[in-house]
Amino acid sequence: MRKLIEFKNIVKTFDGQVVLKGVNLNIFENEFVTLLGPSGCGKTTLLRILGGFLEQDEGTVIFDGQCIDNVPPYRREINTVFQRYALFPHLNVYENIAFGLRIKKTGDDIIRQKVQRMLSLVNLEGYEKRNVTKLSGGQQQRVAIARALVNEPSVLLLDEPLGALDLKLRKELQRELTRIQQEVGITFLFVTHDQEEALTMSDKIVVMREGEIVQIGTPLEIYNEPVNAYVARFIGESNIVDGTMPADYKVRFDEKNFECRDFGFRPDEPVDVLIRPEDIEIVKPRDGVLRGTVKSAVFKGIHYELMVETQTGTSKTVHMNVVTQHDLTNQAAGEKISANDFYVDLEDLENREMTDKDFISIANAQAWDEEGRDISLTKVSHNIENRTGVYSITFGTEKKTEVTVKVYVIHPEYVQDPRHNIGITALDFFITPDEIQESMAISTDLKTWASAEAWNLQDDSSIEITDVRFDFNPAEVTEGSYEITFSTRGREYKVETTSAHEVGDRIGLDFGPDDIHVMHKEVADA
Amino acid sequence: MKSFVRMSYPYILWIAVFIVAPMIMILLYALTRTGNGTLTFQFTLENFSRFFSDPDFLRVLWTSLRIAFITTVFCILIGYPAALFIANLPEKRQTLMILLLTLPMWINMLLKTYAWRGILMNFDLESEAKVFIGMVYDFLPYMVIQIHTAISKLDRDLLVASYDLGANPWQSFLKVTLPLSVPGIISGITLVFHPAVSSFVIPKLLGGGNYVLIGNLIEKYFLVAGDWNFGSAISLIMALIIIASMYLTKKLDRNAGED
Repeated sequence: MRKLIEFKNIVKTFDGQVVLKGVNLNIFENEFVTLLGPSGCGKTTLLRILGGFLEQDEGTVIFDGQCIDNVPPYRREINTVFQRYALFPHLNVYENIAFGLRIKKTGDDIIRQKVQRMLSLVNLEGYEKRNVTKLSGGQQQRVAIARALVNEPSVLLLDEPLGALDLKLRKELQRELTRIQQEVGITFLFVTHDQEEALTMSDKIVVMREGEIVQIGTPLEIYNEPVNAYVARFIGESNIVDGTMPADYKVRFDEKNFECRDFGFRPDEPVDVLIRPEDIEIVKPRDGVLRGTVKSAVFKGIHYELMVETQTGTSKTVHMNVVTQHDLTNQAAGEKISANDFYVDLEDLENREMTDKDFISIANAQAWDEEGRDISLTKVSHNIENRTGVYSITFGTEKKTEVTVKVYVIHPEYVQDPRHNIGITALDFFITPDEIQESMAISTDLKTWASAEAWNLQDDSSIEITDVRFDFNPAEVTEGSYEITFSTRGREYKVETTSAHEVGDRIGLDFGPDDIHVMHKEVADA
Repeated sequence: MKSFVRMSYPYILWIAVFIVAPMIMILLYALTRTGNGTLTFQFTLENFSRFFSDPDFLRVLWTSLRIAFITTVFCILIGYPAALFIANLPEKRQTLMILLLTLPMWINMLLKTYAWRGILMNFDLESEAKVFIGMVYDFLPYMVIQIHTAISKLDRDLLVASYDLGANPWQSFLKVTLPLSVPGIISGITLVFHPAVSSFVIPKLLGGGNYVLIGNLIEKYFLVAGDWNFGSAISLIMALIIIASMYLTKKLDRNAGED
């Protein structure tokens, strides 16, 4: 195949922001090439530079062996299909398509012939006289395609041409574009952020990210052998887990060694391991290479998407003491007051000097008058010291309605999980049945009441507590002590399967060396 | 909806009292003879035949139409490039330019015309040329604003598409920008031609006393000669001309839109 277009070290900046960071790309004759990437990755900018609508800051574009940097767009043998069609509203379908030919002063009979051929190519015979503004989105896009192709360009640029269409129409035009490309046999340069579109239509996919090309390959190569986790995540569903390469053809993840087809890594090099959800087979627990519990199952039409946890997260269990509050009544003032005993982490006392307001809120202290109106607590006195022990605290109102409760200053044990670098902590707490019954989101409230927190041991960043387990019914809870377990997310695998599974099922996961793809860790941008 | 309909009653009353009633009176005057009593009307078409049989009157009508037509053409010729230029400026500059352009419209027309008279006194021009200068000066902003609005509403992508299809900037202007700004030109024509055809202050002040347009004629018959019947007939003739030209431009606009 002959090289048709060559981008050489293209750099483009907008307002000081680098949009293209030295892009090199070759495009050959008759190829269907897709530039794929999220919005802002520079794909449209590259297309516009080729069309001549933008000028690059650095680099050269070679077209058919000649530098076209100084060629204005109207002299380039390139035509574009725009995302928003850009049809001429004052011209009918026929005249829109004939526009380029009329500019070239083509004879009327030849125009008629060519336009007719284009209309049948895009299946719009009989639409010649129609007003373009009255056509549907799909029909407008067909006119735009015909209007570009009638000029017989060597390259057709398509700038997200299907983005504004609904799913069904998009699929239809995808098929049609592939057919048209094969029929006219010219190079198509197609820009999209839709990975599925890219996979189904292209001969070659160019994956872009932040102004750089990450990978170039056929759809199959890009899907099966993505160069890194970015490409893997962008194309299709994926499980990407941390692992290491103890030796060639051996990869270690989930505390197990697996055989694989990959080689050429440094010994024990940290790697990203990709396993596609559709490559994992569900088997009996003892038959699987991994075992786990189904955490969620979502029906997706043809298949179910399961999340299977093979390793539980790091967890901490605390006691919840459910007690009924005893209101104290101040007859003289006509007021009532109540508060809970509570626990305080010594470290919190030392670090952030807890205020009276904090104590009021932890103790859930409140006062009210005979009509149930809240009264503010203006007095707080306590003998709390920065040492573990049991202290007392008194809350009171202006009218000397007072209540005294116990404060347990403790030094709670942190659960540390050095294997995953996770620390987690939570405190025992006192609570009334009313508060539990009134809770709208019990898991979230339990986290708050227990001051549950998890963090990364290395950089102190906070980690989400995804799981709160308890064995009481919030609607009917009575006095007593209950265990609550907070835990972080474990190792989860996404699995696609056609058989139904219940949440909580124990299952085995099976996959072979061909299903494992090992990738270099992405190098963080300096 | 009902309550909104009710809100238009004052306006309808206003129109009835100040527009419809005077129109009916003009019609009545134009179709009757001088010296009517309160109860006796002498209907006649004399006023019209008088106008159309006198070559002097016809010449005045012709001059008025010619002046208005030439004024409109000049307004398009000067206004279109100006509007195109403004539409291609950055947005902030556009607002400023439009403001500058409309600034003279805030000044009383009489005042501006007197100013022009002072300026043009120093030049040895034909009175018709002076009238043109005054008219074009006065009506140009209406034309520019209409065309500018049409051009700035244009989708920039259409020009990009035109370049993409091989049209150079000049061809793109002829084939895309110009046809798509026709509605602007047409509403510009409506705003310039109609007041121009009936204007009487500018020709009176700049054209010297002997330069008579149809507006001056009406003024003369109402205020100087006191012949309200004939004055009404001339007014009616002019109203019909304006209605006819509005119908024509509307039709032109619709045709342009359908193409």
